[in-house]
Amino acid sequence: MIGALNSATTTSLKRRSGRTALLGAFMLTGLSAASAQTVTVWSGYPEMAPFYEHVAQGLKAKHPNLNVKVEAIALREHEKRIALGLTSGVAGATVIELQGSTVRRYLENDLLPKAPDAVVNFVKDKTNFDEFFTSNASYEGAIYGVPLFRGQAALFYNTDMFKAAGLTTPPKTMEEYTQYAEKLTKRGSDGNPTASGWSLRLTGGGQGIAEKFWINLFQYGGSVLEPTADGKWRANYANEAGRATLKQYLQNVHVLKTVTPEMPADAEAFERGQTAMFIRESWVIGDIASKAPNLTYATAPLPRGSIALPTNLYVKAEGADAKAAWDFVMATNEPENLTWLLKNVGWLPNRSGVDYSSVTNAAPAFNAFVNYPKDYKFFTLPSIGPIEEVLTRLAAQLTNAFRNASLAKDDAAIDAFLKSAADETNQILRREGLLGK
Amino acid sequence: MQRKRWMFALLAILPTLAIFAYVRIYPIGDTLRLSLHKWDILSKNKPFIGFANFEELAGDPLFREALLNTTIIAFGVLLITIPLALVLAALIYHRTRSRFAGFYETAIFIPHVVSLVPAAMAWKWIFDARLGPLNALLTTFGFVPKAWLFDPVLSVVCIIVLCSWQALGYAVMIYLVGFKSLPTSLFEAAKLDGASAPQSFWYLSVPLLKPITLYVSVVTLVSGFNVYAQAFVLASDAQGAPGRQVRVLVLDMLENSFRNYRVGYAASEAVVLLAIVLVLTLIQFRLLREKGVR
Repeated sequence: MIGALNSATTTSLKRRSGRTALLGAFMLTGLSAASAQTVTVWSGYPEMAPFYEHVAQGLKAKHPNLNVKVEAIALREHEKRIALGLTSGVAGATVIELQGSTVRRYLENDLLPKAPDAVVNFVKDKTNFDEFFTSNASYEGAIYGVPLFRGQAALFYNTDMFKAAGLTTPPKTMEEYTQYAEKLTKRGSDGNPTASGWSLRLTGGGQGIAEKFWINLFQYGGSVLEPTADGKWRANYANEAGRATLKQYLQNVHVLKTVTPEMPADAEAFERGQTAMFIRESWVIGDIASKAPNLTYATAPLPRGSIALPTNLYVKAEGADAKAAWDFVMATNEPENLTWLLKNVGWLPNRSGVDYSSVTNAAPAFNAFVNYPKDYKFFTLPSIGPIEEVLTRLAAQLTNAFRNASLAKDDAAIDAFLKSAADETNQILRREGLLGK
Repeated sequence: MQRKRWMFALLAILPTLAIFAYVRIYPIGDTLRLSLHKWDILSKNKPFIGFANFEELAGDPLFREALLNTTIIAFGVLLITIPLALVLAALIYHRTRSRFAGFYETAIFIPHVVSLVPAAMAWKWIFDARLGPLNALLTTFGFVPKAWLFDPVLSVVCIIVLCSWQALGYAVMIYLVGFKSLPTSLFEAAKLDGASAPQSFWYLSVPLLKPITLYVSVVTLVSGFNVYAQAFVLASDAQGAPGRQVRVLVLDMLENSFRNYRVGYAASEAVVLLAIVLVLTLIQFRLLREKGVR
């Protein structure tokens, strides 16, 4: 009986302990599921996806339950996603990559939270970031984001094609750019170009055409917008610098025919040897390394200076999720990760005090981006609401101008075109109450 | 009893009507309302500005360009699709007993079900100025190659061709249904009276198929005015694959909404598009509806 009881008790205990173990396992699974956190990263640069995945991998030791989902799509679609997502509410913790010039509207409407104190201290620390980047991640004195990388332009040129054309050094003035383009253009038996001497952004959608135009305009001392004494803005390209810039495009397209709109263009053309030189950001170095590793090329600073377009990381989350998201953001700025970013993606990290020499020494192409002349100047897009509209509308006007051969030799017609485009720019600024005197 | 039946019918249909009103009528009403406001999609403030958006539209060169391009594309697609679909459907119908009948129908219908973006990418390659087979063919016959996707006129033609290629399959299918429902006795009588096949087609099939033509042309025209993805993909500014951006209304609306943060302004464009489509549909109804039929 006792034996039977014992046996029954044992069986009962076994059953109980089995149930307890099952319950324990269930609770542990539940707890584990409860403590598992998901951070979604919205990026506008598909080439950045491996970087965020690399950062997530590195965070595994500190946050074993953190699941990072990287959603990197084309920039213009990314901007639409943010506009719709932030207004209708995003689910869970989201790290958002945004250019400083674009984020202003979201901050004005309280759609993104301020950074926590630890992050603020990190961003405000002058040993970490130059004032330019700190200010770009701020709004009305408060820090909202963490600077990550910047778009900075330089000249990429194919050294083999330069050698074949008898050119040993990169062009140093804008006039030389045209002279070089003429020498570098490869032509077929009919005289039409088969490989462009200088790939210019002539077609496509969006504001890219205007941004590239601004980079060239800057070399002539101009800018699409200039600040006014009353703290506002006005168009600054219906002038001599604007004329020189547009005329250079038109001469290359219609007079010298060193490039045509239908020719393969940009990084892809450069990687295939279909253009001898073009102006682009540092990400092209990473792109060439993966797509055309045998390409012989070099980079050079631009004649006067470059665009510096900082991209920052912002967080949309609450509570514990927010902490995990900010931890992720801070991890992106760890020296090891920034070096990885520079080496494998090519975008220039904004953080100072990090030794990037292992990458820059191994890839001399970075020299033009980090070792530029002392008097080298930088500009960035103004953080004003209608900046995208200003550039998109200017791009639409420029596309038409680039196609108009009659403008090429007619300075008065160029001036009239620039005045009409600048009037439209000023009209947009006036409508938004941003037109300066 | 009659009243109870009405009440029951009304209650039965009410949920459907409510859903329809919420997903169809409310957005249209809200678009009309938004078109009279200034709204940047982010702000809680939407100040009422009356018809200011419409006044600005009237002087906006990009809107005018988009409207012109969209109208040309919509009517271009209509003019190509309707006659071609009618003729193709007639040919297929009269070859119904052929063992290739299924193949003909499938071959024509496939473009309609193919995903738009890959199809547009394939056409982008066909139209490519340097590597495209179209220019290779032209060169073979001694013609000068064309910059299909860069010339302002040709780039619009390219979109018309792409849209027509996609719309044709659906139109042919609907016409085939129409042909199958035509009374055969009329065609037999016409044959006895000595009418040739083209005469039967022109004097019998075409008038009898008017209701089908009305339906197909309305659908084709409305989808033509809503063209977007074709223009977007053919001009996508992917690295190394440039193309001229053909500005169409939907693209302009998206740009104004999500790039320029001007939702009220984009809504006023949507209202103009709605008005155009409604007016054109009414005109088509008047022109093509059979007399006495209501």
